[in-house]
Amino acid sequence: MNSIRVLLADDHKLIRAGLRLVVDQQPDLSVVGEADDGRQAVELAKSLKPNVVVMDIGMPNLNGIEAARQIREIRPDAAIVMLSMHADEGYVLRALGAGARAYLVKDSATTDLVQAIHAVAEGKSFFSPAVSKVLLEDYVRKLRRSGAEDSYDLLSPREREILQLVAEGKSNKEIASLLNLSVYTVETHRAKIMQKLNLKGVPELILYAVRKGIIS
Amino acid sequence: MEVLSQVTETGLKNDGGWPSGKLRLILLISFGGLLGLMVIAGLDAFHLARQMHTQEEEIRQTLLAHTQPLLVLSSSIYVYNDRIEEYLMSQDPKSDGPRAEDFSRLQAEINSTLRKYPANCQPQERALLESLKQLYTDQQGMLDPVLSWSREERRRQAWRILNEEVLPQRSRIQATSERIELWNSQQKGATDREIFASFASLQARQTRLLTVVLTAGLVLSLASIIYLLRLGEETERRYQELALSRAQLEALSAQLVDAQETERRSISRELHDEVGQSLGALLVEVGRLAAAVPSDNTSIRDHVDKIKSVAETTVETVRNIALLLRPSMLDDLGLIAALEWQGREVSRRSEMEVEVQSSDISEKIPEDYKICIYRFVQEALNNAARHSAAKNAKVAVEQTVSKISVSVSDDGRGFDPQRVRGLGVLGMEERVRRLGGTFTLESKPGSGTRLKAEFPLPHA
Repeated sequence: MNSIRVLLADDHKLIRAGLRLVVDQQPDLSVVGEADDGRQAVELAKSLKPNVVVMDIGMPNLNGIEAARQIREIRPDAAIVMLSMHADEGYVLRALGAGARAYLVKDSATTDLVQAIHAVAEGKSFFSPAVSKVLLEDYVRKLRRSGAEDSYDLLSPREREILQLVAEGKSNKEIASLLNLSVYTVETHRAKIMQKLNLKGVPELILYAVRKGIIS
Repeated sequence: MEVLSQVTETGLKNDGGWPSGKLRLILLISFGGLLGLMVIAGLDAFHLARQMHTQEEEIRQTLLAHTQPLLVLSSSIYVYNDRIEEYLMSQDPKSDGPRAEDFSRLQAEINSTLRKYPANCQPQERALLESLKQLYTDQQGMLDPVLSWSREERRRQAWRILNEEVLPQRSRIQATSERIELWNSQQKGATDREIFASFASLQARQTRLLTVVLTAGLVLSLASIIYLLRLGEETERRYQELALSRAQLEALSAQLVDAQETERRSISRELHDEVGQSLGALLVEVGRLAAAVPSDNTSIRDHVDKIKSVAETTVETVRNIALLLRPSMLDDLGLIAALEWQGREVSRRSEMEVEVQSSDISEKIPEDYKICIYRFVQEALNNAARHSAAKNAKVAVEQTVSKISVSVSDDGRGFDPQRVRGLGVLGMEERVRRLGGTFTLESKPGSGTRLKAEFPLPHA
C-alpha cells in the first residue's frame, strides 16, 4: 500500500510537532515536510509533491487561504486540509473557495486529523463536527428569525441526490455515469439546485451541504 | 473629559483682563455722566438764547421809553412854532387861521408829554430835555403878547416878530431836534454794544461748557477705544490659545487611539502566539495522552478528559479575548469577511440578526481605514444589540473611486441624539474624524438608529 505523503504548514512549532506525532503514528501516513509560513508551504508543495497539505489558515507572509489557492494551481492533485481557530462561515467559505476540501477547528485537530487526511486523499470532504454545528445553528437561527422556509424542502429527490454528489466533490461526468443520466441533464439539475437554494458557486454549495448534514 | 473641561474653566477664571463688574460700573457711570453733561449743556444753551432775547428786548424798550417822548416833544414844539407863524401870517379876515383853542390844545399835549417823561435821566438827556423846556417857555412868552394883539396890530408887527423871534426860534428848535437825533443814534449804538457784550459773555460761558463736554467725551472715547482694542487683542489671543489646545487635544486623542490599537494588537499577538501556542500544544499532548490511556482504566481516563475539557475552555477564552482585542480575520480574510464575522458573532450572542451588504470593496485600502471601519461597526452593533432592542440591523459598505462609506442601521427603539451621547459614540466620532472622515448619527425615539461614516480615500 502506498503511503500518503503529508506536508504540514503552521507557524507554531509546538503545534506542528503535535500534529506530526499524530500523523506519524499512522502506518499509511508519512510527513514529508514542515513549513513555517504560507510561502514556504507553496515552495515545499512544489518540490515535495505531497498528496495532502495540512495548513493553518493564519500564517505570516502568505496566509493559508492564499497559499491554498497557489498550491491548487501548481499541484491540482494535492488535497488541502485547513486548520483554523474559528468555526465560522466566513472562514469556511473562503477556505473552500481557495480549494480546501477539509476544514478542522484546531481544538479537535488531533482527534479528527487522521480521518480528515484519509477523506481528502480519497477525494472526499471533511469538516470538524464543531464546524457543522456552528453552521447549522447560524442557519436555523436565521430561518427562525426571518420566518423563511427551509429551501431544502423545495428540492426534488433527484436534485437532493445530485446536491450530495456535487458536495462530495464529484464532477458532472462522474455524476452522469453514476446515475445513468446525460451530462447535459446533470448540468440542468445543478443549475436548478443553485437557483432554488440561492447559491453562488460550489463553495457555497458545499457549505450548504455541511450545514444540512448532507456531508460531514 | 470632565477633568479637561474643569481645567479649562479654572484657567479662564484665574486670568485677569476680562471686563470685571467694577470696570463695567465705571464705564456705565462715565458714559452716563457724559450724557448728563451734554443734556445740561443743551438746556443751558436754550436758556441762554431766551435770556439773550429778553435782555435785548428790555434794553431796546428802555431806550425807546426815553427817545420817543423826546422826539415827540421836539416835533410838538416845532408844530407849535409853525402854528404861531401861521397865525401871524393869516391876513384874510374870513379865515381866522389857528385860534387860541388850538394853541391851548397843543400846550396841553406838550405839558402831558412833559409830565409823563421818565424820571431816570442821563445828564446828556436831561440837558436836551431842559433845552426843549426852555424853547417851549420862550415860545409861550413869544405867543402871549401876539394873542393879545388886534388884527391891525398883528399885521403891522407880523414881519418883525417873524423875523426877529419866530424864525430864529425855529432854527433853535431844529438844532435841538438834530441834537436829539444824534443822541438817539448814540444811544442806539451804546445799546447794541451792550447787547453784544452780554451776548459775548453768554457765548463764552457756553463755549466753556461745550469745551468741558467735548474734552470729557474725547477722553472717554479714547479710553474706550484703547480698551476695546486691548479687548480685541485679548480675544484673538484667547481664540488662538483655544484653537491650539483643541488641536493638541485632538492630537492627544489620536495618539490615544493609536496607542490603544497598537497595545491591543501586541497583547492579542502575545496571547495568540505565546499563550495560544502553548495551549494548542497542551491540547495535542492531552489528546495523545487520552489515546494512550487503556480504555479499561476509567479513573485515569476521567482525569485526562477533565484536563482536556479545562484546556479547551481555556483555549476558547483566550481566543475570545484575543479576538476582542484584535480581530485576526481582518488580517486573515480582509475587511468584509471580518465585518461578516462580526455580524454573525453579534447575531449569535444577541436577539438581533445582522446583515452585511457590500459591493466591490478593495482590500487594498489602508490598514488604518480597515481598523477604523471595523471598530466603528463593532461599536455600533454592540450598542444596538445592548440598548436598542432591535430585531434587525444592517451593515452596508460602499466604495467609490474617491471615498468609502459604511453605515449601520437598526430597527430598534432609537433615542434623542441631542440628549444621549455616550462615550462610545464620541470615541467612534473621534476615530472617524482622525482619518478626515465625516460622522453622522440619525436617530429618533421610536424610529431606529442610523450611524454613518464616510472617508475620503487617500489615493485613487
